[in-house]
Amino acid sequence: MTQHRLMQPIIRARKLGKQYRLGTSGPEARAVQYVTLRESLVDGIRSLVRAGHRSGRQAETIWALKDVSFDIMPGEIVGIIGPNGSGKSTLLKILARITEPTCGSIELYGRVGSLLEVGTGFHPDLTGRENIYLNGAILGMLRHEIQTRFDEIVAFAEVEKFLDTPVKRYASGMFLRLAFAVAAHLNPEILIVDEVLAVGDLAFQQKCLGKIGEVSRDGRTVLFVSHQMDLIARLCGEAILLSNGRIQMRGPVSDVIERYRNLETG
Amino acid sequence: MAVKASSSAVTKTAARNRSELPTEPVVVIRPSPRWAALKLGDLWAYREVLYFLIWREVKVRYKQTVFGVAWALLQPLFAMLIFSIFFGRVAGIPSDGLPYPLFVYAGLVPWTFFANSVTSSGNSLIMNPNLITKVYFPRMIIPAAAVGAGLIDFTIAFVLLIGLMLFYGTFPAWGIVLLPVFVVLMTGLAFGVGMWLAALNVKYRDVRYALPFLIQMWMFATPIIYPLSLVPDQWRWALALNPLTGIVEGYRAALFGGTLDWGMLGISAGITLVVFFACAFVFRRMEKQFADIV
Repeated sequence: MTQHRLMQPIIRARKLGKQYRLGTSGPEARAVQYVTLRESLVDGIRSLVRAGHRSGRQAETIWALKDVSFDIMPGEIVGIIGPNGSGKSTLLKILARITEPTCGSIELYGRVGSLLEVGTGFHPDLTGRENIYLNGAILGMLRHEIQTRFDEIVAFAEVEKFLDTPVKRYASGMFLRLAFAVAAHLNPEILIVDEVLAVGDLAFQQKCLGKIGEVSRDGRTVLFVSHQMDLIARLCGEAILLSNGRIQMRGPVSDVIERYRNLETG
Repeated sequence: MAVKASSSAVTKTAARNRSELPTEPVVVIRPSPRWAALKLGDLWAYREVLYFLIWREVKVRYKQTVFGVAWALLQPLFAMLIFSIFFGRVAGIPSDGLPYPLFVYAGLVPWTFFANSVTSSGNSLIMNPNLITKVYFPRMIIPAAAVGAGLIDFTIAFVLLIGLMLFYGTFPAWGIVLLPVFVVLMTGLAFGVGMWLAALNVKYRDVRYALPFLIQMWMFATPIIYPLSLVPDQWRWALALNPLTGIVEGYRAALFGGTLDWGMLGISAGITLVVFFACAFVFRRMEKQFADIV
């Protein structure tokens, strides 16, 4: 029993699936973002008239994610890679609880912080100081947690002089630094990161990478999605390759990247 | 999605040492059942986010304005002036023996709260798509924050109401102790209708255009610029179906010491309760689609 507990995963995903209806929602159908009431009414009446024989617009569906099962151990940094439309962002969104799976389940044995975007909830009219508190709360930090990390966040973002300036007057680099700094000081056991590192200048990217490395040395678990293979290779020990909504391969990062490159070239 | 006891007991050390992982999952993610629970407790569990979102609304609303928070007063005050001139003076609408400006302002204070809260919470989800597609917290917090910010303006406008009463030499009646009841009913109704419209707005953008019209109609269906006593007896029941009627009449009775119509108040409270739970239920049913369609 103790043996088992030692090997207990911190994330346990089982047979996850996410189905989207084409033409109404989902990443494949961004062009048709919302229906008007009139369209709905017309559709409703149409289906009433045609009741009995099911015809007309049979909604086409697509599985953005299908049969995805995996375990992640505490302290692992796992990269998630795959071509566009392979289900990476759907998987992240389910992990971050932004959207629900159609079937399957995930058990999380720790607090989750998700970073799908830097600066969510930032308001341009509020000052840097105000936005730190606002964004921290939105990302799931408690007020006293923000207070204790406030100086660290400010120092990391290098915005000491502009704390009381509305962020709309910030240079874009400064804005991104501050936004990332808040997110980087979120201290969850599980951190889910989308391609947010592709921001800022080179020096700042280095700093961000360093921070993520530091986070993982603390024993926290990181799931990291990126298109930049060199980043994945540098940061992650393991990787998961997704393609057409299914897991193609899971293993040491160099092997998975190689497989991905083969997949890309044909 | 089911959350099993989202615990803050999981400390940093727990994660550092893998043998100390909790035996029970902190969060379980799975498709939610068709009949989702209302989970109104989320509003309390996530009160910090709620607090900061209210604070953001209030801070941002009057940034870069010359008059600042005074707008919370100017809005009902100007409405009072216009209604006093056109309805009080020109049309000579009676006001139950009170000075018409005082009468109409007492109705306008809760009404302005209701109209602004329903409008801003109805638009809150589509105005903040990133709060839906990029982070997770209970979606209900977003329309709730809009209503909460409205309560701040309400409080400011209410202080002026007391001042106005003293100016006209009217002292609040003992009924003022009942005031919290009306505030709760008014808030619950605004929150319910607001979150229902917000959810509908995500799916059907028609709501955004229909909303101002709906609000205007609702105002005339509520005894704000006219007293309920002006309505023929046989039609009172129709007005009572509008829960705001009982609430606005209640405000006036509580402040000016009129007789409280308990029957009507009961109907209004009952309808408010039904509306609130029905709206919360619809919101829960629709919220799982928000991120996919907003």
